[in-house]
Amino acid sequence: MTAVLALAGCGGDDSGGSQGAGVKVESAYMPQPVTAAMAAGFLVIENDGDTPDTLRSVTSDIAQDVTIHTTSGQTMESADGDDRAIPAHGRLVLKSGGMHLMFEKLKRKPKEGETVSLELHFTKTGPVKVEMPVKSATYRTASSSSSSSSSHQ
Amino acid sequence: MRTNSPKKTYAAAALLAVCALTLSACGSSGDDANAPVAEVSAESGAAKAATVLDKPFEKPDLVLTDTHGKSYDLRKETKGKPTLIYFGYTNCPDICPLTMNNIAVAKKEVSKKLPKSELANLRIVFVTTDPERDTPKALGEWLKGIDPDVVGLTGDFATIQAGARTMGISIDPPTKGKNGKVTSMHGTQVIAFSPKTDGGYVLYGEDATVEDYAKDLPKLLKGEKP
Repeated sequence: MTAVLALAGCGGDDSGGSQGAGVKVESAYMPQPVTAAMAAGFLVIENDGDTPDTLRSVTSDIAQDVTIHTTSGQTMESADGDDRAIPAHGRLVLKSGGMHLMFEKLKRKPKEGETVSLELHFTKTGPVKVEMPVKSATYRTASSSSSSSSSHQ
Repeated sequence: MRTNSPKKTYAAAALLAVCALTLSACGSSGDDANAPVAEVSAESGAAKAATVLDKPFEKPDLVLTDTHGKSYDLRKETKGKPTLIYFGYTNCPDICPLTMNNIAVAKKEVSKKLPKSELANLRIVFVTTDPERDTPKALGEWLKGIDPDVVGLTGDFATIQAGARTMGISIDPPTKGKNGKVTSMHGTQVIAFSPKTDGGYVLYGEDATVEDYAKDLPKLLKGEKP
């Protein structure tokens, strides 16, 4: 495990923080895409609060369009509300072979070593900014080598 | 066949991810330090990536169009050459580029250790499952970003589908959704063909890594079992 990241996803200009707990984003990365036409992004959203939340949408200044998809078997489909739920004290995992962010029509091709800024929008929690590092095209998190990673319903 | 629940996988993934990365979202006040440190004993000794077939697949009789717009007869062009074939499409953010990049990076690593002549015969073939969008030009541009030596093939969908089917790969034609977005299918495996028999004798699933391919390639080049 060579990659050690330190990243901060700041809760925008939300200065109050009336509730101490909330959603946190971890393990964000984008594999360096092949072209600027399309890229994927992966991350883990952790909810340490007592109320469930839902990832509503994602925006990024680098792409015209960021959508949330699930690789299901051999196809990719739009992830619906249930898929995007983050249970109280639970997590939502976007990982290769499963759910992912899909960036389309990027302004430029992100390169390994760069970071891509995005903003996650939730049903309850305020927007969360994420600096997503661009990794090599073949980057895998330690967990994704699990032999069951290709199993879908 | 594999019955592991995705949820379980996700949970394990998240736990491991916690070990590897330290991240903080500053929206909340500083109780992050109390976040539990996950202790995970990862299941080591993952199954071998390669599946060697008792009964190899015959190489499909596919004549398609390559990225230069020229006719490419798969059997003729790859006869007696170690060949890897994968079916996918370029408008695919996750699995298709990962699979192709894994092979391309592995090839590069192997090229540092083996004489050039041994790798010269290797044919890596990417057959599109979305020929309408993946024109020779589109395929060529995409593959250039991965490995310009990869042979990219496009053509009539029915022909591609029939060819895939002979190797146990089932693909449906792309469909257009209400929102105008096209959904395509990628194959589930990479198939390695032997230079000795021209039979497809080894399968790799989507979770095969760069290391898996790099380890096996020297054997695949000789038609040996990995």
